[in-house]
Amino acid sequence: MTRPRPGAARRIALTLVAAAILFVWAFPVLWAVVVSLKSESEVLAWPPSVFFEPTLRNFRDALTGNLSIASSLVTSTVLATATTALTIVLAVPAAYAFARLRLPARSGLGFYTLVTQMIPPVGLVIPYYLILNRIGMLDTYSGMVAVYLTFSLPFAIWLMVSYLEDIPREMEEAAYLDKASRLQALWHVILPQVRGGIGVTTVFVFLNAWNEFLFAVQLGGNRVRPVTVAMHNFVSIEQTLWAKLAAAALIAMLPVIVIGILAQRQIVKGLTVGAVKGGGRR
Amino acid sequence: MTATTGEVRLEAIVKDYGTFRALKGIDLRIAPGEFFALLGPSGSGKSTTLRVIAGLEIPDGGRMLVDGADMTFAPPGERNVAMVFQNYALYPHMTLAQNIGFPLRMDGVARTEIAARVREAAAKVRIDHLLARRPGQLSGGQQQRVALARAIVRRPRLFLLDEPLSNLDAQLRLETRIELKRLHAALGVTTIYVTHDQEEAMTIADRMAVFREGEIMQIGTPEAVFGLPDTLDVAAFIGSPPMNLIPARIEDGAVVFPGWRLPFPGAPVRGAVVVGVRPGRVHLAEDGIPGRLILTENLGETMLLNVEIDGALVKLRLSEVRRFAEGDAVRIAFDRDDVLLFDPETRRRIDWRDNPGQAA
Repeated sequence: MTRPRPGAARRIALTLVAAAILFVWAFPVLWAVVVSLKSESEVLAWPPSVFFEPTLRNFRDALTGNLSIASSLVTSTVLATATTALTIVLAVPAAYAFARLRLPARSGLGFYTLVTQMIPPVGLVIPYYLILNRIGMLDTYSGMVAVYLTFSLPFAIWLMVSYLEDIPREMEEAAYLDKASRLQALWHVILPQVRGGIGVTTVFVFLNAWNEFLFAVQLGGNRVRPVTVAMHNFVSIEQTLWAKLAAAALIAMLPVIVIGILAQRQIVKGLTVGAVKGGGRR
Repeated sequence: MTATTGEVRLEAIVKDYGTFRALKGIDLRIAPGEFFALLGPSGSGKSTTLRVIAGLEIPDGGRMLVDGADMTFAPPGERNVAMVFQNYALYPHMTLAQNIGFPLRMDGVARTEIAARVREAAAKVRIDHLLARRPGQLSGGQQQRVALARAIVRRPRLFLLDEPLSNLDAQLRLETRIELKRLHAALGVTTIYVTHDQEEAMTIADRMAVFREGEIMQIGTPEAVFGLPDTLDVAAFIGSPPMNLIPARIEDGAVVFPGWRLPFPGAPVRGAVVVGVRPGRVHLAEDGIPGRLILTENLGETMLLNVEIDGALVKLRLSEVRRFAEGDAVRIAFDRDDVLLFDPETRRRIDWRDNPGQAA
């Protein structure tokens, strides 16, 4: 008597579904890769050509042409790095205070963080524009970083609190008895144990700042033009340079992909932090 | 080895957590070099007292002196005390050598000296072959030794141990108990030991303080606390199983139980009393308090009988194991000299004879 291995059909079905989902997710990237390797005229051909002579000209144009995004890449790097560095430097001590002291604001932190992440950014663009305009910080690095911080800080603090609360209090009490000051205990005993959490937070904050478009286009744009905004120069009223746009998009995606691969394990760990132990947490 | 430093004095220590008063005025003097146990059920204030001594809690009232110097508000690092936590609180990202050397590093001791002293401390607790490992790679018993090594490496004035054996399995607990005693004898440092296990306190401590609901019920040697408990609460807590506490009346020079009179010349009071008698001092008799045997417990070398008398449960320990039919009617008795009397109103022991004078 032969019976099919139990679950074989189910596995095939699941694989198909997974493949379908993967295709939907991957298609835009795939499309961008294909288009970036075509010439502008080939892009517009109908039906689309499957076989064509691939060219790297679009990448060269995107980086060195008259609409080059090279300087914008530098701008994006400066913006994202500054935002990330400031966020971590400010968020870690703040999160430590939230985790250890009985601060009345502790219970509101989660809610406030949620609000900053859920509120439609469009609603904030105009107030931020007016504020930055009034204090003369429109289209400046400091103005942009300040705006980014209003989102990244609550998120980073909230994330770090959950890591820090996992560390038993006795750990630093032991350090105090061992003659460590509060700062020494934080530096030598606590921080090394939340390295993973700091890594995850860094990645999230950096990628958010790197990918940000809406505020960048409204509050920056001329002197401070990150790559997400600069890419738009390939789109104009007369024409859209699809191939160069795709090439620029791929270049802008590169750091995201590299960081994502490097930090994959840590991020998965970070997303599941508290999934098991966090039941008692507020 | 007789120590000359490490005297601890607590004077009227009060600690509140919000509206809850965790310590209601603790007075305690611990002599230099003493092995002193703080014993009590959970929530009785023994750990809080230890944390006040460590400097991890600032009391809301009272003073804490070490060798005559007021340390009430001194930060933990300035008290020169070492503590072993219940969960050991080892630093998981450091090797054992780094863990043990951490207090020396914070103290600015030279690198070469740190290495030497770490090695010496690790050897004392026999983990010197593990120094390159991290805490996560060790068994519970080994982790415990690391915590001890980290405590002794700095040659502190006081050792504070917070339930150090409670995370070990039974066999290891007995071994470590002996080892702690040995270590204390070798180092001669004043050691304050928190435990909820009265047997642990009895076997290990020179003296102990019995805590209950934020107060000290009794301070004394294990013999004194076991032999002459000051209150009903201590009597009911110390001993395994603890003392039998049987309600009775004193009338006309005798203690009167339902169905039995124990002649008691010189009985100090009249009226209701509680009679305390250790299970080992109760025996079966022809003439005694009538009761019913409801349960026997075979302990191997000895056995326990649970006898119900007039609603109260009395345990008696027999020195040999025999067969009994549960449900049988039995009579139990005890001698006048094995009995303590307590006042059910004040819950305190009534002195009715010349006490051996061993109460501290």
